[in-house]
Amino acid sequence: MLVDLYSKKIFNMSYQFAGSFQEAEDLTQDIFVKLHHSLSKYDFGKNFTAWFLTLAKNHLIDEYRRTKWEKKQRDDFDEHVRTEASADDPEHGLAEEENRALLWSGLNDLPNDMRMAVILKEIQGKTYEETAEILGLPVGTVKSRINRGRLQLAKILRDRKESAHDL
Amino acid sequence: MTCDRIEELMAAFADGELRPEERAEVERHLRDCPSCLALLDSLRTADAALARFPEVEPPAALREKLYAVPARRKFRFGLDVLLRPALQPVLAAGLFLLTLFTFYMFSPAKAEINKAVSRQFHLGYSRIEKLYAKAGSITDSLGGFADNVLVSLKKVNPLSKSDE
Repeated sequence: MLVDLYSKKIFNMSYQFAGSFQEAEDLTQDIFVKLHHSLSKYDFGKNFTAWFLTLAKNHLIDEYRRTKWEKKQRDDFDEHVRTEASADDPEHGLAEEENRALLWSGLNDLPNDMRMAVILKEIQGKTYEETAEILGLPVGTVKSRINRGRLQLAKILRDRKESAHDL
Repeated sequence: MTCDRIEELMAAFADGELRPEERAEVERHLRDCPSCLALLDSLRTADAALARFPEVEPPAALREKLYAVPARRKFRFGLDVLLRPALQPVLAAGLFLLTLFTFYMFSPAKAEINKAVSRQFHLGYSRIEKLYAKAGSITDSLGGFADNVLVSLKKVNPLSKSDE
């Protein structure tokens, strides 16, 4: 039942954070193994989703620190994501797809804590409060971290636009 | 306001979270600064693109593996205990002893090793015996010394009485 409820959420979180489909499969498995080890420690008074996502976040950041994914390339954007996007919304243009591809690779340039905050809030659609609960940080800290991340990604798009304009 | 300050406020501006006076100042700056205006446009584009980031479906094979996780955990339990970091020195020492034992068992000079070990053992044993005998003689001489001291003290006592 936990697999049905959370596998997609955890897999997407892992994929967006690590940027590699293969890596995301391994990470999702590791996170579920960790979940089974840690279930006895779950406090029933707490929000289970937030608790599980915190466990997933901790694992992803620990693995990031251990293996340093930033040295690796992210999967090409169109390898897994683009096909699905086109099927979901056939109307959106080439430019929008290009923007997403830039943002996808730009996520790799964000520090791990900032990347995780941006993924939770901006991509997964959590509120600032939910994101703060998962990250275990004050809302103000999370807000400024996300805003700096958004700005860094916006600069990637602006620079790209300017260089295209110069050509 | 400088461009750096505008950058700090830009996300809050885009989210409509600035106080009216700050908002007015940002708007005034944006009217005269094409670079900041371009950044704001890119920020809005980035926000919209991130919000519509597509979700991917996990592969079916992965789901199957996830359903099997509790069973796999039970199977792995014994191995996990053995691989605890705290046990690693013990395992290393065990491996070292096992290597030594293997060398001994299959060494062509096994008889010589046995002889050398036996010789060392007897040497050690005789040394301990000598040491024990020495310790005994020291105890005896100390005992004799103690007796002499007691006798001397007894002799000294009557003298001290006569002095008084």
